[in-house]
Amino acid sequence: MIVCVAVVGHQNNPLYIQSFTEADDALKLHHIVHCSLDVVDERVNNPKKSGPTLNETFLGMLYPTENYKVYGYLTNTKVKFILVTTDLDVRDADVRNFFRRFHAAYVDAVSNPFHVPGKKITSTIFAERVSNIVKSFGLSSTG
Amino acid sequence: MEEFPGELRTPPVALVALVGFPELHAPITAHLHAEQPPINALALPDISKISVFARTPKDNSVPVRPVPGILKRDWVSKHRTRIPAVVAALFSSDHVSGDPAQWLQVCNDMDNLKAVTKPRNIKLVVAVVTQSSSKDEISEDRMLALRKKAEIDAKYVHVFTTNDPLELEQSLNRLRSSLAELANAYYRDEGRRIKSRLERKNLNSIELHIRCCFKVAVYAEFRRDWAEGLKFYEEAYLSAREMVGSSTRLPPIQRLVEIKTVAEQLHFKISTLLMHGGKLAEAIMWFRRHIDTYKKLVGAADASFAHWEWLSRQYIVFAELLETSSAVLSDVASATSGIAEKLTELEFYSAYYYQAAAQYLKEKSSCLELALSLSEHADETDDNDQSVSSVYVGQFVRLVELGEAVVMQPLTDEEFIRYALAEAKRFQASFEIVALLKKSSESYNNHHMLRMASYCGFKMAREYFTAEKFGDAKQSFDIVADLYRREGWVALLWEVLGYLRECSKRIGSLKDFIEHSLEMAALPVSDANGIQSFMDCGPAGPLGLLARETIHKEVFGLVRGEQDILLNEENNPLKVTDDTPLFLEIDLVSPLRVVLLASVAFHEQVVKPGTPTMLTVSLLTQLPLDVEIDQLEIQFNQTEYNFIIVNSQRSHLAAISKVQPGRRVEMAPVLKVATNRWLRLTYEIISEQSGKLECMYVIARIGRHFTISCRAESPASMNDLPLWKFEDRVESTPIKDPGLASSGQKAIQVEEPDPQVDLKLDSSGPALVGENFVVPVTITSKGHSVHSGELKINLVDTKGGGLLSPRDVEPFSTDNLHVELVGVSDRESADQSDIGSENIRKIQPSFGLISVPIIEEGKTWSCKLEIRWNRPKPVMLFVSLGYSPYGRETSSQKVHVHKNLQIEGKTALTISHQFMLPFRQDPLLPSTGKAAAGSDTTPVLPSKETSILLVSAKNCTEVPLRLLSMSIESEADNKCTVRQKMEEPMEPALVVPGEEFKKIFSVIPEETIGNMNIGTVCLRWRRDCVRGKSVSSSSVTDVCTKQRLPDVTVEPPPLILHIVCPAHATLGVPFTYAIKIQNRTSLLQEIKYSLVDSQSFVLSGPHNDTIFILPKSEHVASFKVVALVSGSQQMPRVTVTSTRYSATFQPSPAASTVFVFPSKPHFEQNGTGDRKLQSLAVE
Amino acid sequence: MVREVSESCVESLLTEIVSSYCTGFYANKPELAARRIEAIGFQVGHQLSERYTMDRPRFSDHLEAIKFICKDFWSELFKKQIDNLKTNHRGTFVLQDNKFRWLARMSMDPSLETSGSIQDPAAMAENKSAQAIGMHLYFPCGIIRGSLSNLGIPCAVSADISNLPACSFVIRIKA
Repeated sequence: MIVCVAVVGHQNNPLYIQSFTEADDALKLHHIVHCSLDVVDERVNNPKKSGPTLNETFLGMLYPTENYKVYGYLTNTKVKFILVTTDLDVRDADVRNFFRRFHAAYVDAVSNPFHVPGKKITSTIFAERVSNIVKSFGLSSTG
Repeated sequence: MEEFPGELRTPPVALVALVGFPELHAPITAHLHAEQPPINALALPDISKISVFARTPKDNSVPVRPVPGILKRDWVSKHRTRIPAVVAALFSSDHVSGDPAQWLQVCNDMDNLKAVTKPRNIKLVVAVVTQSSSKDEISEDRMLALRKKAEIDAKYVHVFTTNDPLELEQSLNRLRSSLAELANAYYRDEGRRIKSRLERKNLNSIELHIRCCFKVAVYAEFRRDWAEGLKFYEEAYLSAREMVGSSTRLPPIQRLVEIKTVAEQLHFKISTLLMHGGKLAEAIMWFRRHIDTYKKLVGAADASFAHWEWLSRQYIVFAELLETSSAVLSDVASATSGIAEKLTELEFYSAYYYQAAAQYLKEKSSCLELALSLSEHADETDDNDQSVSSVYVGQFVRLVELGEAVVMQPLTDEEFIRYALAEAKRFQASFEIVALLKKSSESYNNHHMLRMASYCGFKMAREYFTAEKFGDAKQSFDIVADLYRREGWVALLWEVLGYLRECSKRIGSLKDFIEHSLEMAALPVSDANGIQSFMDCGPAGPLGLLARETIHKEVFGLVRGEQDILLNEENNPLKVTDDTPLFLEIDLVSPLRVVLLASVAFHEQVVKPGTPTMLTVSLLTQLPLDVEIDQLEIQFNQTEYNFIIVNSQRSHLAAISKVQPGRRVEMAPVLKVATNRWLRLTYEIISEQSGKLECMYVIARIGRHFTISCRAESPASMNDLPLWKFEDRVESTPIKDPGLASSGQKAIQVEEPDPQVDLKLDSSGPALVGENFVVPVTITSKGHSVHSGELKINLVDTKGGGLLSPRDVEPFSTDNLHVELVGVSDRESADQSDIGSENIRKIQPSFGLISVPIIEEGKTWSCKLEIRWNRPKPVMLFVSLGYSPYGRETSSQKVHVHKNLQIEGKTALTISHQFMLPFRQDPLLPSTGKAAAGSDTTPVLPSKETSILLVSAKNCTEVPLRLLSMSIESEADNKCTVRQKMEEPMEPALVVPGEEFKKIFSVIPEETIGNMNIGTVCLRWRRDCVRGKSVSSSSVTDVCTKQRLPDVTVEPPPLILHIVCPAHATLGVPFTYAIKIQNRTSLLQEIKYSLVDSQSFVLSGPHNDTIFILPKSEHVASFKVVALVSGSQQMPRVTVTSTRYSATFQPSPAASTVFVFPSKPHFEQNGTGDRKLQSLAVE
Repeated sequence: MVREVSESCVESLLTEIVSSYCTGFYANKPELAARRIEAIGFQVGHQLSERYTMDRPRFSDHLEAIKFICKDFWSELFKKQIDNLKTNHRGTFVLQDNKFRWLARMSMDPSLETSGSIQDPAAMAENKSAQAIGMHLYFPCGIIRGSLSNLGIPCAVSADISNLPACSFVIRIKA
């Protein structure tokens, strides 16, 4: 289950962060997302030697914590997407698919002429779309 | 890692024993230890002690007893410290070859030795120690017998020689290699023996299987066969995993404890081996699997703390291993390829594991607390039966004293838990957690993972906070808050600030408390913008607008003195009072900018003194509720302009009494700053003083004792509000006018008052090089009287390039100064010399400073600048007058008037010259002939002959000049005579613009010389005085312009050609035309000459001829010529060629021109004129 | 989902933007008007680059990003690529479009066609029509600057219309 998704801006500031847990660990998820930015930096600055992942927007798993797995995605415009999930078995394809849809939603949200670049995303349509994407995570490819 | 006994932490070292000859033990032990791989040695002084190695007799009567445990605690250490692989028996050669009694003793000892070593398969080496190096001392028979007795190979019987250092060294080496070889063999054999048991698969329990695998692995390690060691450790580990759930031997809790302890040990060995082999990624994968397997096996709830402690230990140990492993540094890159594809960078950092360890340790301490609270009653259990670790790894027993004997009894789970609780209580978890987090944080920082580091720092601070160490906590929270502030993580910041606020409260720091509270209240948090409500935000309480409002009210209640906050138990309320006034300063980087932001803009950028201008002070707050300010003070860099705005509704409250007398006070109907809405206040301000007037601070007073001082900011250069800049909010500008909003400044330039004085520079056309050019400067006062005036004069090259002279580099000399300021004459100074003494008067070639006397209103003062040009050059003359219009205050308020004037410097006269030879006389100068091609060579003059020098001076100015004289000044040692051809004119010659003045000199070089200096033309002139104007323009002094004539070459002419011909002829009348060639040399000269016919003349005589001229004589070739045409006619051209000098010369066309009259003319005085011409030619 | 926008609509809109800023809001402050128009372009470029870089790997250097502007980005905007790209390898790039679509329908007094760069106020003052065209170019300049800055390349963009209808955009990357 996806417990948290976040959009992080150029200055590593949160543009959108939403957790999907009933449990009261939203702040902890903030911490996890914030910490994962370190790994994003590390991975972008010292990319793994293996060729195909070079400069790919999908960064793969950033790090495992005791309960969560954190995945990252870095767009060409240096905006970071972070996904936190509790699933133990996550297929890369699912995560990629998630990020692709999420990216599309993000682009639509920031293309709103009333959105000021660099500011937090407050669109409710975006929030709705994200929650739909989150809900369907892992379903599309299995079903 | 310290939890593990040493024998597990280090790779095992082979162990041997030395028996007998104690005095040799030290050198042998040292030697064995020093070599690679090292061997440890037990030293037994004599054979009788050998029994310590003896196998304890095993009771074989109960063969199928269930195995009580998995690994024996002391097995490894037994093999590392007590049971040697090889025994080296040292015998004295004396004893071996001694009398039968001694020999018998040797045999006896050998038997004893064998009795011990045989059952354990310990290998044996025998060394016979001898003093001398001669081998024959020991009998062959005895040696053989000894070998037989020992039942060993001959190569393991050594003769050990001690007396010679070299021999000793060799003996040691021999012994060592045997020992190493045998030790290896021993461990291999033992390993193989156990392996065969494994392979037979007749081990009836899984415990035995694990134990055997473990033993095989340890033996392999002894042999440094890491691969096999690893393989069997792994097998043992996997088997241990299978035991989970299947083992029933022990009570359930302890069962799990034992398995976990064994697994921990095996895993530790595996990771150590993998890391030492550089297989970092594999080690990490193993660790992951290890954790995945056991993490969920919490066991019974009341012993769960033990599980967390165990888990935490796994992480700590692995982190320590990772840190110590050298592979970490070198190999991350290569390790990440291959199987490590799934590993993340973080897993290669020890910090990651420390962090997790701390996490689990925290889990443990909370479980422990729970367990302790449940078992409160069990605390006072009698401690007379002690629980201790048993002989098996991971097992605990109780020692029960039964009379004399102490019996070990297995524990029940309850007893075990009680024991574990007692153990755990002695342990300071909080301290340990902080230490781990600190380590982790530092390590992350070293890897530039600031966010991870600050998360650890945050957890650490929280740990301090729970431990009530508020000082430490505050310090850590402050660092963390900084990062969150910078990156705009509002929720996290909220939490941290909540802690900080609490810390400040507990410490009793009112200022910090208020600052943190204000910042919290101004954080961009609202219920609407999608951030979920967080219930658990530490002491800050749930995030949201409501909480912000609560804090806001609390703080303002406090600062107005209406409330106080009970801080700590000492009942010491925090309160803003007279004794503890509160002053907050908000600068450009303060996080409190969101609380109060002051923008100040002047409506103009430049203003005249005394002219009113507008100043807008705008205040913005992001606090959730309106803030009412009692009094605002605006402070400037010039304090006399400071003013105060008083909130008229609260004037009774405000500290208006504090206002300095004479300070401007404005009343505002209300001073209320609403959330995210600029409060704009515009006031008029008049500055009298020129210079910069800058608003520095805007100080808000709220209540009697609370002051916020905001650094004023210009709207033009205002930074975004931290945190709020990411919010989607309505942004307005501090000033409504869009132009001012984007370019408004908090400073204004107050100009100096307009000068009411005229400064006039006159000049009359261009200056002439050499003269003292006079520029009159006139100062006329028109409304201002001039006090302490100062005139600055600057000469600047108009083409750029700065000042005209390199002032400091070279001493002044007129040569390198193109233009210089010569002097300043001021009319009054002559008769007011007493004042002049105190006047400043500084003149340098390009700069001058003159003080100006007091000029009353309406009066005029003038002076003259004298400037001399040494080279023609345009120059910009800058003159600026600084004065103060009001008598007394000399220091301030200077008014400046600037004027400039471009003045062209021109050469007055250009001097040119020309050399000529006497008429119809051509010396042959060999060098001229040669250099005919290259034209611009130095002119060549014949020596001892008269040459004519024509000097002309042309007036290139636009004014008429008077030429006073022209002469040639020759230098002292001159080798030529220069004479003037004409006498000096009495009246100076007037040269109008463009006209040329010419003068002729004759030059007779005395010597033959390569470059002769003829002299310097010296021209004295002055401007022609046109009456009336001359006074103003320039001085009528004479100017002397000098120009050195270029050098000439002087040569003795070997041949001189004269053309003898009358000055004029008459049509049809024959006349003589002669060529006279003079040979000046002492050589015979062959000369060819030719005449070209001319149509105008009929000619008699040879046209071509070759003649020889004797030395120092001359030849004349005469022709009779009759002119056919009248007018100025060209005579037949003669060409003379000297064979010796292979030079050809021709007289100039002018020389061979004659005027032909149609008939004989009648001259009045034709005789004299003719003679005069003639004489000139002869000279 | 492909959304298309009528070309003539965009051109009319651009004309309208320019005229309302130049003659309406900031009639006597041309530099303020220019700044506003450029800012609109900036936001458009910013948002478009977000969309058009969606399915491609990240650019590893500046040149790659500039090439993206020249090819894909320009094709999306104008259905053609930039015709000529020049660089001094020190952070300056010149992108030339031989027939810039937004200028294609603009006429100019042929005698005055020797105008200089629009950044040069002196040249602008002497030439009214060049000035008007210049105003229209602040928008595409803003688009380029916006998209590059969104790709993490802060820069300054100016346009040069010395030989119409070709138009060169000069990008100077800030170090």
